[in-house]
Amino acid sequence: MTGWHLDDDALRRYVERTDSLAEGTSAEQHLLSCEPCRARVNTAASVIELSVIDIATVWDRTRDAIEVPRPSVFERLLRGAGLPAQEARLVAVASAFRGVWLTGVAAVLAFAALAAAVGHARGMWLFLAVAPVVPCLVVASSYDPWMDPALEPELVTPYPMLRLVLLRTVAVLALALPAVLLSGLLIPTEVPFAWLLPAVGFVAVVLAASTWFSPLRSAIAVSSVWLGVIWLLALRSGAPEAVLQARAQAAFLALAAASFSIFLVRRRRLHQLRPWR
Amino acid sequence: MATASISLRDVGRTFGATRALAGVDLDLKPGVTGLLGPNGAGKTTLLRLLATALPPTQGQVRVLGRDPQVSAQRTDIRRQLGYQPQEIGFPRGFTAFAFVDYIALLKEWTEPAARHAEVRRVLDLVGLSDLSSKRIRAMSGGQRRRVALAQALLGSPAVLILDEPTTGVDPEQRVVLRTVLAEIARMSVVVLSTHQTEDVAALCERVIVLDRGRVRYDGPVTELTGQAAGRVWLADEPDPAASVSWRTGTGRYRNVGGRVRDGAEHVEPSLEDAYLLLRGGSPEPETAGEVAS
Repeated sequence: MTGWHLDDDALRRYVERTDSLAEGTSAEQHLLSCEPCRARVNTAASVIELSVIDIATVWDRTRDAIEVPRPSVFERLLRGAGLPAQEARLVAVASAFRGVWLTGVAAVLAFAALAAAVGHARGMWLFLAVAPVVPCLVVASSYDPWMDPALEPELVTPYPMLRLVLLRTVAVLALALPAVLLSGLLIPTEVPFAWLLPAVGFVAVVLAASTWFSPLRSAIAVSSVWLGVIWLLALRSGAPEAVLQARAQAAFLALAAASFSIFLVRRRRLHQLRPWR
Repeated sequence: MATASISLRDVGRTFGATRALAGVDLDLKPGVTGLLGPNGAGKTTLLRLLATALPPTQGQVRVLGRDPQVSAQRTDIRRQLGYQPQEIGFPRGFTAFAFVDYIALLKEWTEPAARHAEVRRVLDLVGLSDLSSKRIRAMSGGQRRRVALAQALLGSPAVLILDEPTTGVDPEQRVVLRTVLAEIARMSVVVLSTHQTEDVAALCERVIVLDRGRVRYDGPVTELTGQAAGRVWLADEPDPAASVSWRTGTGRYRNVGGRVRDGAEHVEPSLEDAYLLLRGGSPEPETAGEVAS
């Protein structure tokens, strides 16, 4: 016997099974210990038409509670930030490739620590070599058929591939960039975030190149070229800030704009993404 | 409702210097069509073309009267298409329900209650309703194939393209899948590739045999089997002139092709016999340098 009773509305919702899962569970717990309410349930059930009690709906709700996966923390955060549930779900699936970006972020952090240890100039070169290429590698990994084994059935759905690729790009960048930005603070330099524009430029180049080649192959090619350039510059001048001058930064911005334009123009070619084999 | 159809005219596909398909002309209507051929014959390439996953390098493809080369029309096709690729991977940590639900989301099932009901329906069709909450990584190969098939069945598509759907699936489940596909094929074009000739014999009205990227046979299964009538027999010795010959469980040799000898016992040919005869007796020769996929 308890000190309270189900009100009429709650009782009706319970009998008709139109209550929420939490409300229904609470009512059920109460009914186990309350004889008068159990009697009211019997009375109420006897006057309700059977058709009102949709057994199939009740069964579906029960199965939902068991089968539908609980949204991840990341997905709930995205929903909380205002992203529609459907988009949040699609972005969250990309976070299934977290192993890839975690590796990338760990690599940057390791290089940042190493760069901080070896001193100003050499440390800056090291960090500058690695930080801009990590975003383009993790972005490519998020939609490369070799990394995403479910890509083929994804490709032949009506969902726009362009939208899926961009959602994943934004998702992995949102996950990877904060860590890389923080690691930049470890480097003894006055311009810890100057690698951002090269990174944006390289991501755009990879997106554009993905309309011709596999994303991962494109990202590896871009990274290799960048490492070569850095190596040559390091041999010629000891001052890494030369790369970060306003003119160089403007060039990276132009590269990003041009590449992204090419990507948009050739976006229909994305459906021909081929695995790297 | 318009009748679902697919047509291919002089379709070819190359990968660099390698020719995977050449001069393929086909008209497909509702029903189950089986695709047979040795490894590297071009079966997967043909299925990927039909599934709009790959464009042809030559010729014209029309699916449901639409041109997959045109973006808007390709999207229309994909709204009515189910595709099970030969190799499919699954995101780490996903359950069967979560994966099929994810593909349903991409297939524009945006209303959660309807989507979940549809996911349950297709998982039930492939006999996985009891395993819907099980992680795919913990499933057997046959169960994974059924998860892959379930996502292709979403929305009862007008065109269903299946690349080796029964590989690794146990005999009981294969019978169940045959029943499901036969029901779908009443209204839909179903094309499946397989190495299991018994699946084709049991399920398909029509069979297409591909060899080195070209159609070697296209017609009713019974007609292909009929071509082997009188050319399959049992004898105490293997016949060197036979296309193929093997020792059966009774100790006698089943000879396909060649010259019928005295004392030979004629037997009813199977589709496999007819297929082997058509292929000239070579069971599965590789076709290196000619065909990639």
